[in-house]
Amino acid sequence: MLKLENVVKEFQSGGGRVTAVNDLTISIPAGVFCAVIGKSGSGKSTLLSLIGALDKPTSGIIEVGDENITKLSDSKLIKYRRDKIGFIFQNYNLVPNLSALENVMLPMEFAHIKGKERKARAVELLAQVGMTDDKLGRKPGKLSGGEQQRVAIARALANNPKIILADEPTGNLDTSTGKLIVELLKDLSKKHNTTIIAVTHDLGIARTADMAFHLRDGKLVSIRE
Amino acid sequence: MGVVKRGVKNAFRNTIRSFSIIFILALSIAMSLVMLLAYNAVGSKIESVKGSIGNTINVSPAGVRGFEGGGELLTASDVTTIAGLSHVSGTVQTLSDRLRNGDTTSLESSVEPGSFGRRMQGSANSSGQENPAPENSDGGTSSTTQRTFSMPIEAIASSNLDTLASLNISELKITSGEKFEVASTKNEALVGSSLATKNSLSVGSTFTAYSTEIKVVGIFDAGNTFANSSLIVPLFALQKLSAQTDQINSIIVTADSIENVASVVTAIKEKLGDKADVVSQQDSSSSAVAPLENIKTISLYSLIGSLIAGAIIIFLTMMMIVRERRREIGVLKAIGSSNIRIVSQFITESLVLTLTGGVAGIILGVLCSNPVLQMLMTTSESTTRGQGFAGGAGRGMMSVMMPGMQNILNNVSAVVGYEIILYGLGAAIIIAIIGSAIPAFFISKVRPAEVMRNE
Repeated sequence: MLKLENVVKEFQSGGGRVTAVNDLTISIPAGVFCAVIGKSGSGKSTLLSLIGALDKPTSGIIEVGDENITKLSDSKLIKYRRDKIGFIFQNYNLVPNLSALENVMLPMEFAHIKGKERKARAVELLAQVGMTDDKLGRKPGKLSGGEQQRVAIARALANNPKIILADEPTGNLDTSTGKLIVELLKDLSKKHNTTIIAVTHDLGIARTADMAFHLRDGKLVSIRE
Repeated sequence: MGVVKRGVKNAFRNTIRSFSIIFILALSIAMSLVMLLAYNAVGSKIESVKGSIGNTINVSPAGVRGFEGGGELLTASDVTTIAGLSHVSGTVQTLSDRLRNGDTTSLESSVEPGSFGRRMQGSANSSGQENPAPENSDGGTSSTTQRTFSMPIEAIASSNLDTLASLNISELKITSGEKFEVASTKNEALVGSSLATKNSLSVGSTFTAYSTEIKVVGIFDAGNTFANSSLIVPLFALQKLSAQTDQINSIIVTADSIENVASVVTAIKEKLGDKADVVSQQDSSSSAVAPLENIKTISLYSLIGSLIAGAIIIFLTMMMIVRERRREIGVLKAIGSSNIRIVSQFITESLVLTLTGGVAGIILGVLCSNPVLQMLMTTSESTTRGQGFAGGAGRGMMSVMMPGMQNILNNVSAVVGYEIILYGLGAAIIIAIIGSAIPAFFISKVRPAEVMRNE
């Protein structure tokens, strides 16, 4: 359901031009847990930015479902990010003065979902990621790293996205917590039929993924399905 | 939680910083409010001064000043002519005469001649006036030849007893009896308190003047020695008794505004020609108003300056907040928020800070407005004390035409109405919008992709 065709992304950096993504063509079906691996500077995060419409490719086509997102206007891109994409960041990036519950409700507010419905869904999602009721009212500063990432996952699922983009979701977590988070992501991927694309340095995670893409210097080196 | 609730909550995310900013904003808004109140108060006072002092014109017979000089007196028809001119809002006509004990009146003056009085008498004409005692060789006067004499008593009449300037006095307290009707034709008088005491007069007593019995209807205290030794008589009666029917020796003309004084002076001069001397108080009142104009200018610049300072404070604050929360802004965009929603949230934060500062500033401004205004007035008053009008010997007509001018600066006070409070809140809102406009632009330029790249 996700197709990239000959996607190129170039930046002006320093004195010259940098090609972060170089003629990439990949296809990812719906509902899979997919890993993107590669060294720093291989174009992994740029790939996520392009799929998440945070940036526009220099050339090429990106199709999500039947929609070519490279042709969308800015207002439609906002709608696309809101309704079809969920983000999980390495540093969690929760809003610090909102509680866990309020953070999960935030994307639903952007989607104009009513208050009571927002709250009910947020409570349900937090339960799915293993957050107990006593922690729903806590602010991120009062939660552990693993708990914050769970809240971030629940936030990413808030608007039933087609794709979840996770940039190093276990990067700031210890090994055991990281494994728990990966298992959670895989489980949710199946349950919600959501495609999860996780950028990672961790080869262990890549081995457990349904698909794995290896990038080097912006080019696709290998695919494992 | 909506945009507004989030904005309100975010405004106090850093409590210490938020309250510091609110405090500074409160000072800025209080200052602007105080300056606005001062501006309005001083402006009202200037209009009041222009309308009451300095828009009077003195018209006297050409060549006559008080009881000095020579020429022909003005008449009632001259008054009618002047009253019909444009921008003349009122006229007061006066007549005064001198009475001498043993000559024209039975009254004795309560003012002792002293050396000045004797000197003035020494230069009087030869018809019945005493000459000063000749000096001895050692410079003293001969006690055997020194003659005593009584000072003349001024009798004054006015067509309006409430216009104190026309009576050459600055206050008129009736200590017993009552005032007569201005149009009275009776031979009656108000007697100064010193003169009454000197001549053992009380209400109901009579005395002789112009070979006519005059009844005392009231005793007055004018607050100064010379006036308290004078008489106030109905105009018609004085004209008749002194054989100056229909004549007047001074007209006080009031222009409807200080701006029209010059044109009224010109018109009077055109109508009366060489018959009259026309003098206006415009120059004196302009110098009295000048310190008020300075205060008004200072308060206007201070008002503008404090509003600009408030806008700069909130601008720098919002720039700092946007810079600090750049990553958060990128995340909000990444999870589906539009620019408008994010900008609205930050404008709400800005409004919360400035409105809170505005309310505190209004309270502070209202409390401090009068003390600050009085301080401004006191500073300006010291520059006007050196100005004054000629005092000294004798009482020229000009010196009493502006009673209480030195008190102008003491009688300015700020009036706080609901419109001032609305202004304070309006100023806070304008400061918030202006101060957050540029930060809002920067918000719209934050690229969420940078959030990913900087992870």
